[in-house]
Amino acid sequence: MTAPRKLSLSEWDNRYAELHRAGLREPAYGGPLRRHVEREQDFRLEQLQFDNSPAALRLWNFLLTENERLHQARARGEKIVGAMKDLGTIPVMAYALPGLRAFYPDGAWWTPCLMEGSDKLLQQAEALGIDASFCPVRAMLPAFQNGEHFPLPDLLLCSTGAVCDDFSAIAQRLEHLGHAIFWWEMPRRRQPAAGETACALAGNLTAPKSQVDCVRAELQRASGALGQLAGRELDAALLADGIRAANQVRRLLAELRQTVYAAPAAPLPALELLVAEMLALHFCSDREECIAVLEDLLAEARARRSRNQFVSGPEAVRIFWVNPVADLRAMNLLEDLGGRICGSDFMFTHALDLIPEDLPPLEALARTALADPMVGPASDRAARIVRECHANGAEAVVVSRIPGASHCAREGEIIRGSVRQTLNLPTIELEIPSVCDALQPALGSRLQALMETARARRTK
Amino acid sequence: MICAGIDAGSRAIKAVLYDTAAALVLTSGLADQGVEQERLATELFDKLLREAGLNRSQISGVIATGYGRNAIRFAGTTITEITCHARGVHHLAPDARTIIEIGGQDSKVIALEDGGRVRDFAMNDRCAAGTGRFLEMVASRLEMNWEKLSGLAQQSRQPALISNVCAVFAETEIIGLLASGKPLSDVVAGVQNAVATRVATLAGRVVAPPVYFTGGVALQAGMARALAEVLACPVSVVPQPQFTGALGAAVLAAERVA
Repeated sequence: MTAPRKLSLSEWDNRYAELHRAGLREPAYGGPLRRHVEREQDFRLEQLQFDNSPAALRLWNFLLTENERLHQARARGEKIVGAMKDLGTIPVMAYALPGLRAFYPDGAWWTPCLMEGSDKLLQQAEALGIDASFCPVRAMLPAFQNGEHFPLPDLLLCSTGAVCDDFSAIAQRLEHLGHAIFWWEMPRRRQPAAGETACALAGNLTAPKSQVDCVRAELQRASGALGQLAGRELDAALLADGIRAANQVRRLLAELRQTVYAAPAAPLPALELLVAEMLALHFCSDREECIAVLEDLLAEARARRSRNQFVSGPEAVRIFWVNPVADLRAMNLLEDLGGRICGSDFMFTHALDLIPEDLPPLEALARTALADPMVGPASDRAARIVRECHANGAEAVVVSRIPGASHCAREGEIIRGSVRQTLNLPTIELEIPSVCDALQPALGSRLQALMETARARRTK
Repeated sequence: MICAGIDAGSRAIKAVLYDTAAALVLTSGLADQGVEQERLATELFDKLLREAGLNRSQISGVIATGYGRNAIRFAGTTITEITCHARGVHHLAPDARTIIEIGGQDSKVIALEDGGRVRDFAMNDRCAAGTGRFLEMVASRLEMNWEKLSGLAQQSRQPALISNVCAVFAETEIIGLLASGKPLSDVVAGVQNAVATRVATLAGRVVAPPVYFTGGVALQAGMARALAEVLACPVSVVPQPQFTGALGAAVLAAERVA
């Protein structure tokens, strides 16, 4: 049994050869990580540290072959659905229909990081009218235009209304460029007023029934469009099956998070956990394989815990991390400086919560969609973060910001204020661009200062 | 027991030799920062040792801080400026609850608990408008040195309003103000207010008194007043504010050795 360790890409070359000699069995998308640098110009991989388990290898290969797998699905005659600005709702519906495969074009926001800007997507987005004052998700725009990344979807759906301003602008530009979009509306979540019927949502939230009805009607429309594409109605029985399968992914993720975050030290690195959580959104374009990838990771984490083998020391500072990072390297940096993740809110906590199976399926999905942290007040999100920080024994909180992202300009301050006021934990806010190398000394100093502060509080 | 603290800042390297028995600073010194950070720090350190009649073997511990801390290999440990400034200010002013540190290329607001422990902090290291760099740019534009700039601000009767939050564009605004005949002293005081406003934004709405001001920019006459105005509470400058980080590093070194 190999002890857990973080490996550079070069070290993974040797590790892969070793595993291969030992009879490693891989799925069709398997292979050495190095090939993603050589074939796809994913140069950032050379700067990252990866977990050394076969489960992590499978996770990375799954993530990095998504476009390739989507093209293969298209070639097999499957219909491709682009679910935009929808963190975990439309894909549940799409995968309920045989022959449909949903993906998340917004995921192109990591491409400038992975390719270290060599793809020039951000510059091309600027030429298309979306400049650096917008979130790096603008990389999606030229990816649609040049067709060099994901295949052009057969159906493109996008939520609008109380969602990210940046994304709405980018998606509208996309439509102006000739890509037809099926829009569905998401109202801004509010508390039920006096006399209104309240509906319980995930995450201890409530919303008026009228809002749930509105979202359900919108999802009903989306269901019609998906059914038309699939040539088959998305009936309640099919959708209920789809919800059960999605919940299987969510249960696995919940167990993985619990196994890793609650452990005395980290059995898996923060970077692999971030990638794993992202799978909840659209199953990385393959729901069945997503389950297998998560099962492997969970088995690895459990085995390591039972053997008391960890990638961090027990003295590592327990950090709760808020928001995903544009540069994956930031997660390595945190651990290099003596931290570990003990909880996270990557802005889609509603996609980790189980979808109710005891409600009519569309109603259940509507309630889940309305629990999206991005469509409600920042104070709702802050309250959940505070609860989870407390439950997971966080010693400090990092709120990372995405340059240009503007769904709530003051959200970071609201979250930090709640954490300070309720738990008296030290917090920092960091802005992490797609490639943070030039900022690394400053980012490192802040993270180091946070950890010094947290450690000092242990002793007094 | 003698311990040393080295603060390798962006503009200058500061060093302090601290006598733990007497709880006193034996000597301190400063050298301009440069490319060869370790050589510059070594020369400064050796100079201080000579002045104090000591040799390296008599130094029980050395801690380096500042943005260049990792280049100072003769230091046994590195600690961030946040922790070192907090310790240095607490040593000088045990009642401090908020520290404002404005250095050459960044600014920090540090909240302290009883006993000097850091409760929370905020840093600006992305925008020159809230740092000493902005004042340097203005001094250079006005073709005057740092001391003269400081003196001029004291003469202001009606500080100019610098509306731009970007140091580069503010420079254009300053040129316009001067061209329109605004007195130099009012422009300089306006720049100090602009720096103070940026730092106050970093501090947020609630700043717990007593507030102490440290870092090289605290030597600028008028800056403490500007901060006090925007924060709406008294702001005191610690003695020899440019050495607080190095002092904190030396005190922490002493605590670790003890």
